[in-house]
Amino acid sequence: MDFKIRAAKQEDCKEISRMIIELAVFEKMQDQVKISTQELERDGFCSSPRFECQVAEVSEEHKSSQGYTVVGFVLYYYTYSTWMGPTVFMEDLYVMPEYRGKGIGKGLMSKVAQVGKEKQCTRLQLAVLDWNTRSLDFYIMKGARNMTASEGWHALRFDGEALDKLAAEAPKDYKSDLDTN
Amino acid sequence: MLKLRKAEPRDVPDILRLIKELAKYEEMEDRVLLTEKDLLEDGFGEHPFYQCILAEWQEEQSNEEPKVIGFAMYYFTYDPWTGKLLYLEDFFVVEEFRGKGIGSEILKLLSHLAMKTRCGSMHFIVAEDNRSSIEFYKRRGAEDLSKEEGWRLFRFDKDSILKMAAPAEE
Repeated sequence: MDFKIRAAKQEDCKEISRMIIELAVFEKMQDQVKISTQELERDGFCSSPRFECQVAEVSEEHKSSQGYTVVGFVLYYYTYSTWMGPTVFMEDLYVMPEYRGKGIGKGLMSKVAQVGKEKQCTRLQLAVLDWNTRSLDFYIMKGARNMTASEGWHALRFDGEALDKLAAEAPKDYKSDLDTN
Repeated sequence: MLKLRKAEPRDVPDILRLIKELAKYEEMEDRVLLTEKDLLEDGFGEHPFYQCILAEWQEEQSNEEPKVIGFAMYYFTYDPWTGKLLYLEDFFVVEEFRGKGIGSEILKLLSHLAMKTRCGSMHFIVAEDNRSSIEFYKRRGAEDLSKEEGWRLFRFDKDSILKMAAPAEE
């Protein structure tokens, strides 16, 4: 089956939003999805985009049972390692179940690697759930290393009340250019 | 007396010094390949990859220049479920100045910056054998997503990226 990998356009946000939810359902965390198509459009297609996105598209004759031709996506952004410089973080990679096993996931990831290479990124990082053995195997086969297993890195987060509480006690005299963010 | 301020281009030598001290603390000092020139271009050029807060200390009634004794480097990332996030990449206070609440002050300022820029949360990674840091964060309400939700951090290095980026016919 032929497919095309291309940079996402603003009008793709509706399909991307749909697939973000499908991926969250697969990860058993769909109640954590809070943002809308409009917010994706605003954050991805403004003057300082917060992320980049590539989509996988098939022709009309191969559209899904529900009529979709955009059947996969990868969402990524640039981060920074104080040891090595610019890196790319692959936040979401997803192919609809009926389109798996055809090289689409590999194609999307290759595109991110290409883009990362053009931007002089020395690393491509991502996070995978420990029970998602199919994905773990896919990435390891392509040369990824499990940094949690090998070096003990854990991902931590402050949100909700804990974040509010810390913020309320911040020093008041700090000057920054927050309007650039 | 402590002062927290935004880093400027002139601070790049101090930033690199502290990056190396943190790497040494993590027993990975030889992995720091960045130079002052890289830090200058990457942080203070047209499209900065990072933001940096510095902690300066000046002894009371001293004529000496304030010393840079801590830093936090951060940038903004994106969660397709909740939107903008603040990602804390490096966070360090030199050994002789620990235990004075400086780390706490930096963390509070970062949280304030996160809220002000509409970030839903603040993320970072910690090595699991770094017990004192993990306790520091957990005491203040951080959740360990690797432990609680099973997230594993994966990395492709440069060789793997080049291999994947080479065009292949599907």
